[in-house]
Amino acid sequence: MLAIGRFDLDGELRFSDGWIVLTTKRVIADEPASAEGGERTAGGPRSWTIDAATRLDVQLRSAVGRVELSQGDRIVARWLFTPAKAPAIHALEDAFDSRLRGPDGLTEPDGLREARQPSAAADVEETEEKPAAAAPRGLADDAGATGGLASWRPLFRLISFARPHAGMAILGAMLSLASTAAALVPPYLTMPLVDDVLIPRQNGKDVPFSLVWWYLGGLLLAAVAAWLLSWIQTWTLAWVSERIAAGLRTRTYAHMQSLSLDFFQGKRTGDLMSRVGSDTDKINIFLSVNLIEFASNVMLLALTAAVLIWLNPLLALLTLVPFPFVVWLIYAVRERLRRGFARAAVAWSDMTSVLADTIPGIRVVKAFAQESREIDRFVTANERVLEANDRVNVVWSFCGPFVSLFSEIGLLVVWACGAWLVFSGSVTVGGLTAFLAYIARFYGRVESMIRMVPATQRAAASAQRIFEILDCKPTVAEAPRPVRLGRVAGRIEVSGVHFRYGAREVLHGIDLVIEPGEMIGLVGTSGSGKSTLANLVCRFYDPSSGSIRVDGVDLRDVDIADYHRNLGCVLQEPFLFFGTIADNIAYGRPAAAREKIVAAARAAGAHDFILSQPLAYDSRVGERGGGLSGGERQRLSIARALLVDPRILVLDEATSSVDAETESIIQAAIDRLVTGRTTIAIAHRLSTLRRANRLVVLDAGRIVEMGTHDDLLAVDGMYARLYRSQMKAAEEAAAASETAPSA
Amino acid sequence: MNTHANPLATITGDSPEGWRLERHAHGRLDLIDAEGRRHADVDVLRAFPVTASAGPVAVVAADGGELAWVESLAALPAALKALLDRELAQREFLPVIERIETVSDTEPTEWAVHTDRGPHRFTVAHADDVARQPDGSVFITDTFGTRYRIPRVAALDSHSRRLLETLA
Repeated sequence: MLAIGRFDLDGELRFSDGWIVLTTKRVIADEPASAEGGERTAGGPRSWTIDAATRLDVQLRSAVGRVELSQGDRIVARWLFTPAKAPAIHALEDAFDSRLRGPDGLTEPDGLREARQPSAAADVEETEEKPAAAAPRGLADDAGATGGLASWRPLFRLISFARPHAGMAILGAMLSLASTAAALVPPYLTMPLVDDVLIPRQNGKDVPFSLVWWYLGGLLLAAVAAWLLSWIQTWTLAWVSERIAAGLRTRTYAHMQSLSLDFFQGKRTGDLMSRVGSDTDKINIFLSVNLIEFASNVMLLALTAAVLIWLNPLLALLTLVPFPFVVWLIYAVRERLRRGFARAAVAWSDMTSVLADTIPGIRVVKAFAQESREIDRFVTANERVLEANDRVNVVWSFCGPFVSLFSEIGLLVVWACGAWLVFSGSVTVGGLTAFLAYIARFYGRVESMIRMVPATQRAAASAQRIFEILDCKPTVAEAPRPVRLGRVAGRIEVSGVHFRYGAREVLHGIDLVIEPGEMIGLVGTSGSGKSTLANLVCRFYDPSSGSIRVDGVDLRDVDIADYHRNLGCVLQEPFLFFGTIADNIAYGRPAAAREKIVAAARAAGAHDFILSQPLAYDSRVGERGGGLSGGERQRLSIARALLVDPRILVLDEATSSVDAETESIIQAAIDRLVTGRTTIAIAHRLSTLRRANRLVVLDAGRIVEMGTHDDLLAVDGMYARLYRSQMKAAEEAAAASETAPSA
Repeated sequence: MNTHANPLATITGDSPEGWRLERHAHGRLDLIDAEGRRHADVDVLRAFPVTASAGPVAVVAADGGELAWVESLAALPAALKALLDRELAQREFLPVIERIETVSDTEPTEWAVHTDRGPHRFTVAHADDVARQPDGSVFITDTFGTRYRIPRVAALDSHSRRLLETLA
């Protein structure tokens, strides 16, 4: 068996699972949507023998894909499938095609494909998982899917972030214990104060007042000790939790930086910002405020319970009467709360997303006078936040008073029994007073623990959202033992590269060798796969099959960061970071000497306009380039690429967003940039590729033509057509601008 | 341009690369390049006024193009160095803030300060315009683009420092 593909639709487009198996000699499959011929075992699968005229074609243009098996020009079978099945179907197609290329259908033409192909065929199950991996499924909006114990699990995972600060955390816990113990002393002192001093005195005994001072002194001392201890404890735990939250933020952000480009393409900036910012903050608040409370509550409860039982077991038992109700309540609301808080966090993310979306796009908003629409969008998002919060508020606001009610009832019961016990003489008034004081504390703790449940669930929901990011694996994974290329010569071999974007295959087998120092111009209509090929060479993605080698080493085996030091990129939309012009030029080499920065700026034709800025090289440029024009920003990004002195240069539509005059300045800068470097230039305007040694024409993911400008004009194919249409457009534009002034 | 300026008011400085600066009456500056061409009314400026205020200096034409580049003033002949120093000092108006009296709470912030050029009030649009430098100095740019410098934050009095801390 070479490969197996699965289809999931029948001829009437009803869901119906089936499989297609490719062997060296045959195609065997479940009942197709339509078929003729083929050998059929009774009620079982059909099979077709493969000969030289057999073809297997896959088409996926809409929601339904088609696999067609044909003999000569006659289609013998057709299967239908949804895009979910596309990766395995494409693998089947690849296996079929490479089978044809092999001399006897088994051995492959080159060792490389042989090495890759079995994995493509054998890992059908795995490749089927791929769309999910490519679009990381972690960040689901529905965070309420899991239940039960799972709701606490994210919180337990936080412990690993506390480990570096274990010393302080333990100190904090010990202080909690000490301050709790100190807080339990006062009621214990009131008991002898009442029984041994006040009541005897009231009954006419001669008790010296100095005893009162002693007890009061003890009470004051206990209060001061409790205050001092809880102060240090609060500060200690706040210190730890700030560090946990900061660690969480850094880890999350660093992890995001390690993730591949496809992670960011599917994500909304606002959502990621809110996860790193607001969710970590919620966890911080939980840890610093609520966890302390929780820990000290648990300890207080245990200690108080011990004291209560020691004082009077019967009364102690009575105080516990409301407890089962409280436990039931926690159980009942916990899951509802977590789901509610998760929903609120998602709503909050949506709201930040509106901001992150419209603020960078503010010019478009204003140009199309859509301010009020954007306000409406924000109001809608904000209302969702409000609604989500309202819903969860109803639940938790109910809990606190509910528990208060129970504790009031509990107190009442104890008062009643206590009064009866005092009447029967088995308990003293002082004993009862102390007991009630303890019970008040006890219930107070229970109440505050209940109030904690929402906070805990809020933090759990937030932690879940952060771990979703941390659990995403980069799809472009670093090899186990990466090869460090150092400074490369720049020979690039692209062999048999296919690339799928989700279900859609955008490159169908690209073979291309670029010699060191050669400039290749990639030409083709939009969507032909030019940028995808460039992205693969940059190793922003890995090919679905086939390989890209640089200096003979497969890119999948190289150290990514080390390889990227050889790369320079000039993109259509030059991105400038917030900082000075000098900082932006030196982005790839932050330690670059000033002379180097100036030299790069000169070579990029940026020096003169930089000097005209208010603070020359120290002028600040904003998120979106501040007051610089598109051409100026582009020249800064060329200077940035020049400074790193890359061996391999990728120019992705570097001049297409600027006017013709600026283009000529930029073109001169680019000419300096490409000299001596392996260059892949993508350009819509063919005139910008005049320095290219070879032009590669792509159409629908395949190389259709290759050669010099003159060669390709002589061939009179797709390139010639593109070239002529652009020349014509340019002439028309020139003619139009000539007639314009006279009009 | 008018090349017959009063020779008595002219101060010149020659560079090793063959270009020459001439300072005329009213502070106008001309550059005569190595080929003898005169560029009237040129400007001198520092390429890194913030991060390397003693670093490279450029002479640019009235229309913006670079005419001459001086990597380090210290290496220049004395006459030219003196001329450039004086020009830069005049062109670079950079008051040093000695004390911050008040800063309003909301952006844009209104500042009342004492500088080495006397008391002054100005407006700063955004906290980003208060830029701390790695060497402990701070540059402040007001809404009109005038810059102010605090050479050492640690040397300010505590009142000024507190006001500054709330901003940057």
